[in-house]
Amino acid sequence: MTTRRTVLAASAVAVSTVAAADLLLAAPAVAAGPADLLPADQIAHLLRRATFGATPATLAEATKLGVNGWLDQQLSPAKISDAACDSLLTRLPLAGADIATVRSKLKVHSYDAFKELGRATVARAVWSNRQLLETTVNFFNNVLHVAAPSAGVWDSRSDYDQQVIRKHALGTFADMLKASARHPAMLTYLDNRSSTKAHPNENYARELMELHTVGLVYTEDEVKAAARLLTGLTVSSAGAYTYTAAKHATGAVSVLGFQHANATAEGGEAAALAFLDHLAKHPATATRLATRMVVRFVADEPPATLVAKLAQVYLDNGTAIAPMLRALFTSPEFAASVGQKVRTPFEDLTATVRTLGLAPEKDGTKALDALYNMLVDAGNAPLRWAPPNGFPDVAAAWASPSAFLMRCNSHLNLATGWYPSQLVRPADLLKSLVPVLPGTYGALVDALARRLAGTTLPATHTAAVLSVAGKLPTSPLSSSDKSLAGSLPYLIALVLDAPTFSLR
Amino acid sequence: MSGISRRGVLGRTLAVGGGAVLAGLAGEGLSTRLAYAGEGYTGDTLVVLSLRGGFDGLSAIAPIGDTDYYKARPSIALPKSAVIAGDGTFGLHPALAPLLPLWNDGRFAAVQAVGQPSPTRSHFAAMEEMERAAAGTSLRTGWLDRMLGLTGSTAPLAGVAMGNAMPSRIFGGPTGDVSMASIDDFKLAGESSKRPMAAALRRMYADAPAALAAPALAADRALTASVPLRAEKYAPANNAIYPATPLGEALRDLARLIRSNVGLAAAAVDSGDWDMHEALGAAVKGQRMYDNLYDTSLALAAFAADLGPDGMAKVTVVTISEFGRRVGENGSKGVDHGHGNAMMLLGGGIRGGKVYTRWPTLAPGALADGDLAATTDYRSVIGEILQKRCGFGALDDVFPTITPSSFGLAAARS
Repeated sequence: MTTRRTVLAASAVAVSTVAAADLLLAAPAVAAGPADLLPADQIAHLLRRATFGATPATLAEATKLGVNGWLDQQLSPAKISDAACDSLLTRLPLAGADIATVRSKLKVHSYDAFKELGRATVARAVWSNRQLLETTVNFFNNVLHVAAPSAGVWDSRSDYDQQVIRKHALGTFADMLKASARHPAMLTYLDNRSSTKAHPNENYARELMELHTVGLVYTEDEVKAAARLLTGLTVSSAGAYTYTAAKHATGAVSVLGFQHANATAEGGEAAALAFLDHLAKHPATATRLATRMVVRFVADEPPATLVAKLAQVYLDNGTAIAPMLRALFTSPEFAASVGQKVRTPFEDLTATVRTLGLAPEKDGTKALDALYNMLVDAGNAPLRWAPPNGFPDVAAAWASPSAFLMRCNSHLNLATGWYPSQLVRPADLLKSLVPVLPGTYGALVDALARRLAGTTLPATHTAAVLSVAGKLPTSPLSSSDKSLAGSLPYLIALVLDAPTFSLR
Repeated sequence: MSGISRRGVLGRTLAVGGGAVLAGLAGEGLSTRLAYAGEGYTGDTLVVLSLRGGFDGLSAIAPIGDTDYYKARPSIALPKSAVIAGDGTFGLHPALAPLLPLWNDGRFAAVQAVGQPSPTRSHFAAMEEMERAAAGTSLRTGWLDRMLGLTGSTAPLAGVAMGNAMPSRIFGGPTGDVSMASIDDFKLAGESSKRPMAAALRRMYADAPAALAAPALAADRALTASVPLRAEKYAPANNAIYPATPLGEALRDLARLIRSNVGLAAAAVDSGDWDMHEALGAAVKGQRMYDNLYDTSLALAAFAADLGPDGMAKVTVVTISEFGRRVGENGSKGVDHGHGNAMMLLGGGIRGGKVYTRWPTLAPGALADGDLAATTDYRSVIGEILQKRCGFGALDDVFPTITPSSFGLAAARS
């Protein structure tokens, strides 16, 4: 920690690129707000937010089940068949491996488990049928963030993903928090493993309060007291969690309303766990977690009414997470939030692969490597955020000229199949997107946009898309049109480049 | 902390949906006029290097004359025998060796006991305030955005955050800036005369919601302005060799912009991994502080060499960091979050070869809650540079209520 920068050099994206020499500044104008670009359809809205991108199959299923039925189904992920994704993940065995297994298979400080975990995260986001689980895991990996790659967690980061985040993502936050506090990955990332009673290390204690639970409401004395209380939670030479009483600083503590005699070294772990329970159930934690969840799924400016409601649901249900998700996605504030989120680079790329109907490569992981590296370039590869606060979740944090160009470049690379070239494409991309060819180019772009972005584009945008093919919306189209095959990937890319598709 | 409101400026734009908010913000900070304002901004290019995580200024510019330093850090204090320059009071860490010629040449200086008015030891609150740099006001823009706005420069590449595609908060606000991972990666795929993608995108974003249109249209301008740079492979001058590190690559691209005269007025670049709670290490190769500081020094030395004395005569580099580190070491042979810190200054206009400070000492009674007290506001140091090197008058519209330091650490621009 701590920089926005990534550690490893990104691999170059091998595409044909030509800088635009003829660009001029267009006059800025505001025709419509973001909400005007998307229809009010609640099923499509739900899928844009609760999944990594709508597909014809997920739209059909959610339409059949309705909002509540779809949430019921998704909140029981074990009952959802996910054979294709599971099969893909067998190519990435270290992504789900426990600490002992990683240690037995890799040299010390190998990056291989990080690599597999990053690629598995991309694979699940794109191809898992358990989409709400994946978006929730993504959210909590960001709340209790342990960067990958980062020093010292080469053996434990995959286990942390499995045993802390995935295991508890639809359980309770109190359990997840306590599991994180007793996991080598967290204790290493935030240095608690080397904290001693004589000279406590404050890193974990501070971020536990500031980032994981109550927020910036603590005093410096409370950081020092919490750091003392957490001494002894450490990592064994075998890389496992252990509590070492000899390292624990005894003595009464008072932190954020938590009082404990902390009288014996042997009782130090129990005292620390009681403190973690106190933090998890603290009203400030409820408000903070609710705020982050609303920012993630509803709007960058979170409606206060919904935050208050979710915080209460969290407290009323013993910090259970699923009731919060249910309350959020069925709230009027959510319903009213169409168009109020912008896709992050990760969300844009996953949604692009999903909507284009691209399937995993037949064998190997070259395409997953490529997708991951595209995200490294964009600064948004999964778990690859150096500081402990997790990725930012608001549009302004990602809205840059570079991000715009990278997004456009990814769309064209995927639409043409230039890069990555290994993904399995529909036999006839045009037919898979638009089964019946319409009579004009304008109607073709309308059909592409309905299929790819869920709605037609504003007329001016449709005309702009067609300019790349030298066509007008009224230009006639027939199956004998020889220029269509060459233009199609560019038309698809520009539909994906449109402001409409950038909204989540 | 709130990861939500920190990105306030553009976030509000999106939520409210329009130019009204941007127009409102444009009114902030535009009253101070510069001697060099306008397209023809001729002040120094100001390069701000953010050392993220909390730089340990007490290791880099070590207070070797202060006996309490050695009492507080029995295992990690910089020994007097290890320093490579300085005076009896302060000594330079040996990992700064690549910058020693600049120190001896009077183009590299340091300021000690510098800090923010806020005592926060939170990385995130401290970084947010450091980049806003307007404590006690309602300003929500980044200070480098305000500085850039006041230069009056409208060149597409007047303000650049190099090394990362994400927008930089220090540039947050109404003045257009461009963040890029690198010059060579800043390009649009598929563009050709047969497939005018850029023109199609320009048309599509001309009437898009403002928050979506702004980066698209800025990309359009910056692409055009940077075409000549990408046309040929960059060759650093004077046999400068940049280290193959993110900072080395970012500074190399900044030198490339400066040497091609695109009108770069302000630049931001990051260096990470300074949060050394654990194993800061002895001042030898292979140890954390040594290696990170050495890599940073190599990159800065290459940048200075590439630009040469004539180029550096028009460039000032300043380092900032959200806080310094605790005076006393912890049980991990590292140091926790502290307060007062050191800044490093490089440039042809810097009066280098010395450490400027109002040293509060490390005596237990002089510490601020266990930390080095900050006797100089970091903004006043930058303020002195803005006045002497960048043609600024009063600082109010960049740093409200701040007066410049009077160390004489920079020569007035001739």
